[in-house]
Amino acid sequence: MRKKTCTVAALFAAATLTLSACGSGDGDSGNTVAEVSAEAGSDRAATVLDKPFEKPDLVLTDTQGKKYDLREATQGKPTLIYFGYTNCPDVCPLTMNNIAVAKKELAQDDQVSRAEKDSLRIVFVTTDPERDTSAALGKWLKGIDPDVVGLTGSFDTIQAGARTVGISIEAPTKDKNGKVTSMHGTQVIAFSPKTDAGYVLYGEDATVDDYTKDLPALIKGEKP
Amino acid sequence: MRRRTASAAALALTAVLASALGGCGDSDSDGSDGLSVGSAYMPQPVSDSMAAGFLVIANDGGADDRLASVTSDLAGEVTLHTTVGQTMGQVKDLDIPAHGELVLESGGDHLMFEELKRKPREGDTVSLELRFTKSDPIKVEMPVKSATYQPSAASSSARSSSHASHASHASLSSPSAARSPHSSHPSQSSHSSQSSHPSHSSMSRP
Repeated sequence: MRKKTCTVAALFAAATLTLSACGSGDGDSGNTVAEVSAEAGSDRAATVLDKPFEKPDLVLTDTQGKKYDLREATQGKPTLIYFGYTNCPDVCPLTMNNIAVAKKELAQDDQVSRAEKDSLRIVFVTTDPERDTSAALGKWLKGIDPDVVGLTGSFDTIQAGARTVGISIEAPTKDKNGKVTSMHGTQVIAFSPKTDAGYVLYGEDATVDDYTKDLPALIKGEKP
Repeated sequence: MRRRTASAAALALTAVLASALGGCGDSDSDGSDGLSVGSAYMPQPVSDSMAAGFLVIANDGGADDRLASVTSDLAGEVTLHTTVGQTMGQVKDLDIPAHGELVLESGGDHLMFEELKRKPREGDTVSLELRFTKSDPIKVEMPVKSATYQPSAASSSARSSSHASHASHASLSSPSAARSPHSSHPSQSSHSSQSSHPSHSSMSRP
């Protein structure tokens, strides 16, 4: 009896309802992604800034424990920067893996010279430096792409650097059970090799395809 | 986008399909409640220290319920997390509204697996048991996908193929439903449809 009611409901209700009941479960954000991808070019994942950011003046420690001066080390090189932490199961590894897979795709692109491919710098700055030591960062990034530059240092320095590119992060907090809550940045920022300015932003919903499509332009400092 | 495609297909495929699809999310065949689980997956984690899991729990019933706890063969601890803005935090339970659904998705609420007993790899399956405030527990087989898998991304060819198979399954592989839209054996189409849908986790009650 209940079954019959269900069928009737399915017929009268929109098919969307029927499908949701089946648990196909593409949430609202999923639809947005699908629309972005379906109409290539019209609604891009990339946001090109009218007023680009200056590259943060960050001097931190890399995964080898060596001093890393961001401006000096990435000068004249196309650079993607993301602020996140390794004890982050969802968005941080997804973002970094999306970029890493897109970089692998770029390696196959015959239209891009070897020198240009090699010039790309991908930088992961921890927002949880207490737990993300050089060694912890190195281990985590090895599972994604060992060429990624992982940076740690004092939280205040990192927070101040992030703020200059519009990324607001708060220090990790520990609750009474010892559970640490950290924050990650919401955006990946692409810096131009021509101007060293951060001129393109990618949100959390940017996909491998978005990065793959845009990297050839980004490494030349062009608008994607 | 996806839903529009689906609705066109549903309209074209007559009431048989609608009936079968309606049945597949409907777990009332055992008469206990109206919860069903779909779209479960785990992105292959970076390390063996933690992993995230996503799924959708639909509540066809008229009463609210809550996802209270989760256990898994993979992890010493599975916790429920919400993401508010840029901050992820643990919560005690998650609401599953009547005639609604609880969506755990990337960038939002998720299951967090810690104290992993092995590193899950793409192609593996992780077993879970979901426990609720009111309903009986539900067992879920959660497939491990690539680290960059996004269920609704256009790049995933799995999406279109899963749709094709969803439709073909509903119309072709449910002979009892095909012969009679108002079959007196709804549980057959309901169960087979659920278990053989490639993009859905298989589901069973203990």
